[in-house]
Amino acid sequence: MSNVKIKSKNLNVYYGDKQALFDVNLDLNEKEVTALIGPSGCGKSTFIRCINRMNDVIDICKVTGNIEMDGININDKDLDVVSLRERVGMVFQKPNPFPKSIYDNISYGPKIHGKGETKSELDQIVENSLKKSALWEEVKDRLDEPGTSLSGGQQQRLCIARAISVNPEVILMDEPCSALDPIATAKIEELIDELKKTYTIVIVTHSMAQAVRVSQKTGFFHLGKLIEVGKTEKIFKNPDNKMTQDYITGRFG
Amino acid sequence: MNIVLIFLITIFSVSLFFYGKSKTKTISIKDNIKLNALPKFYGYYLVLWCSIPALVFLLVWSLFEPVIIKSIIIETAANQGAIFSDKNEANLIYEKIKAIHLGTYFGDIDSILKESALAYAKFINLFTNSKVVLIFGIIIASVIYSLKKIKNNNKARDDVEVILKGLLFVSSLIAILTTLGIIFSLLFESIKFFSVINIFDYLFGTNWSPQRAFVRDASSITAAEFEELKDAFGFIPLIAGTSFIAFIAMLVAVPIGLFSGIYMAEYASIKVRRISKPIIEILAGIPTVVYGFFAALTVGPFFRQVGENLGLTVSSESALAAGLIMGIMIIPYVSSLSDDVINSVPQSLRDGSYAVGATKSETIKQVVIPAALPGIIGSVLLAVSRAIGETMIVVMAAGLAANLTINPLESTTTITTQIVMILVGDQEFDSPKTQSAFALGLTLFIATLILNYIAQRAVKKYREKYD
Repeated sequence: MSNVKIKSKNLNVYYGDKQALFDVNLDLNEKEVTALIGPSGCGKSTFIRCINRMNDVIDICKVTGNIEMDGININDKDLDVVSLRERVGMVFQKPNPFPKSIYDNISYGPKIHGKGETKSELDQIVENSLKKSALWEEVKDRLDEPGTSLSGGQQQRLCIARAISVNPEVILMDEPCSALDPIATAKIEELIDELKKTYTIVIVTHSMAQAVRVSQKTGFFHLGKLIEVGKTEKIFKNPDNKMTQDYITGRFG
Repeated sequence: MNIVLIFLITIFSVSLFFYGKSKTKTISIKDNIKLNALPKFYGYYLVLWCSIPALVFLLVWSLFEPVIIKSIIIETAANQGAIFSDKNEANLIYEKIKAIHLGTYFGDIDSILKESALAYAKFINLFTNSKVVLIFGIIIASVIYSLKKIKNNNKARDDVEVILKGLLFVSSLIAILTTLGIIFSLLFESIKFFSVINIFDYLFGTNWSPQRAFVRDASSITAAEFEELKDAFGFIPLIAGTSFIAFIAMLVAVPIGLFSGIYMAEYASIKVRRISKPIIEILAGIPTVVYGFFAALTVGPFFRQVGENLGLTVSSESALAAGLIMGIMIIPYVSSLSDDVINSVPQSLRDGSYAVGATKSETIKQVVIPAALPGIIGSVLLAVSRAIGETMIVVMAAGLAANLTINPLESTTTITTQIVMILVGDQEFDSPKTQSAFALGLTLFIATLILNYIAQRAVKKYREKYD
């Protein structure tokens, strides 16, 4: 059994008057893929956005409770968000490469954190990140072309490379394949399988099949509550909760 | 008379609307048929048919009536024995005849004029009567035609669509034709100017003193006069002054406008934004003449005072004062346009940047601004074209002398100021001095056109990227 990397305790999130998460207690294991499933608006994305404090960007959002990463509460007001985000990378639903060259898209993060001081170090980081995201072979001859000129699937792998570039410990993926075709999706899933050797991964997905294929652990959210969590195999074969059963068999959501 | 006619046409139209509406209703009930359109469309159909042909006829008639009457009257006067050698004299006689008819002529009236005035009265009467008869004829014909149509249950809805489409088309046509008309009038007057002044002398001359061109007939110009005129219309000092003042204005407007745009788009809370945005936009609503006297009466003398204290010679009408105030005037344009383009940078790009650990200002500097850059450049170019076309502030605060200078404390002048100076007061329309205003106008027009074109291209390029 692997170690717990991230532990949320009584996590509550409010958007203004509306409560989006209710007392979520969820453990994420190190070097494992955890899938979060549930109908739209159930709080899966809200939950992962707490892990890298992306909710800070939203003025009216208030987060209470603890999230511990390696035993340190990352929901602490005094925590340095910049270094947290260096450790926790994120990939978004829609590929969002910067309107810059492929090279600059990857080197952006390391530059901000003062990594890769010389050009050759930076080149190395870019190459490694692109290799890890399985994009290197496709783009190595055109690193100065804009990132937006790539196909959707390539763009998403570019965004994964961008997340990897700062050498994080955790990668959050918010429906990373929802804007991609099946072939590009298959490539990303393959990549996730590879990445979990190095990183702790949390993936929000609407595709049950995807959750089964990529994850070891699955959590089911409904209306802001974590209904059930357990080994992926168990959740999909023999869930304890009736609601989970109904959701995965497609009776609602 | 025309007003009465228009009034009558309106009354007919309105009553026909109700008639058409109720008539079709009764037809449909009595004969138990399904109407092809709602009853009101038959009403609209009648209204359009009743009013448009009559109004168009009235318009065309009013355009041509004076011309026709004039040519007839001048011919009559000539037959009576009136003597005139050219068009201007003929016009004068015609005006006299008209004045006699209206009872506002106080000169000597000879028999020729008297006879002609009687003839004029006769023709006016004849024309007015025939106008009324024809208009009623047209109304009756078109109403009969349209009534027949609606009795046959025509597709009034579609027909109304077609007519409305035509009306909209004509409206846009008028706008386009007006633009073309302005361009051509600028062009023709400029061509007259350039037939006297060599275009290269104009474009590259460094001396602007149009007052040298006294009333002179372009055709009878002597060689000596020509030499003198040759270097009176040098465009360089004007474009230099214009660019210089615009440059000072941009130095003020671009940083302040851009930074306030960034603040509004990225930092201001909704509450702050709701209050401060309208306040900034009030700046754009202040009439430029107010800015002008503010620059001329407050800022200019203030700079002069400060300059004196520092031991500098500052002209009380300085490029600095005009440029500064113009810059303040332009701030809201830059601010609100750059606010818009920054706002339309998708949030996902910011999220991507935050997610790798960038701070807000890093994100703005390295992701948001580069992404919004084409749009920002576009907004700055639009502001530049506003600055070089701005008139009132520079007329009041920049001075009139065409100095070729780069000292912001001296007075300088701009294209627009010179156009104003040339055209105020009494003008000889065939003097090169007056015509030079059209040449200046044309040059200014071309310059702003090019700037606007580039700006729009830049903005468009930006839009394509993110929509």
